[in-house]
Amino acid sequence: MFGFHFCKVTGMSMSPRIPDNSYVFVVPWLNIVKLKEGALLKVSHPRYGYIVKSLAKVDRNGFFWLRGLHKTSVPIEKIGPVGKTQIQGKVLWIFPPKP
Amino acid sequence: MLYRLIKNIDTKIKFSVVSAHCDIPCKIYDPISAQLAALTIIRMVDLLEPLKAKTSLTVDEHAEINRLVNQKEKHGIQVKEEISVIWGDYIKAPQLSQYPELHELTHNIMLASSQAKQHINRDAAIKLLKLVNRFAEIFWATKKIKTYDAICPYPPAEVVTYPQLQD
Repeated sequence: MFGFHFCKVTGMSMSPRIPDNSYVFVVPWLNIVKLKEGALLKVSHPRYGYIVKSLAKVDRNGFFWLRGLHKTSVPIEKIGPVGKTQIQGKVLWIFPPKP
Repeated sequence: MLYRLIKNIDTKIKFSVVSAHCDIPCKIYDPISAQLAALTIIRMVDLLEPLKAKTSLTVDEHAEINRLVNQKEKHGIQVKEEISVIWGDYIKAPQLSQYPELHELTHNIMLASSQAKQHINRDAAIKLLKLVNRFAEIFWATKKIKTYDAICPYPPAEVVTYPQLQD
């Protein structure tokens, strides 16, 4: 309903902000929520499938450049630019697993 | 408490999964890819040398040289990539204090790979394999895994350092 949903996050590339096995609450209303640098986004990527990444920059052509937060993350240039239609939503809340 | 609640819901209705991708699968490191790339360079040199000795070449032979050199280049870059990922991501202070030669060895592999790429020279390719084998030996030693040397059962039939995993 309304498109918002939970997702489970697997992988280390967004730790420590989103540790492996966290749950995230995603809001798809991109015209309402403002996307600033550092925003956490769920993206449908042609090579990597559904990924969660941090917004690094919006270039002058309106493409979104994404990066991970961990040193092992796929580098920004390898992820490449994505269009707004590929962005599935913004992560509003993170629920990390108990230590 | 919230986490547990969401997890319980997840077990029932299965939320979709989003990946937080890493550069390589986390903690999966193995120098065998670099060793195979070094062997491929030797194999390409072996296939190139008869062509190098010829005074004139047919169009097909030109095409073959092009293909073989291309593969040699590609695998030279692969050696550099595979070794630099292990060196940059896996090798840390404990491994360095145990094996202080690692920085110099890695740099020598980069240089030897360039040499092997630049020339059709078997000695240069063999030198690269030996350095990569030494890197593999150290890599497995840091994991307390013994190694042994054996001739690979396919061309170019050169000595490769393998981990002894069945102890």
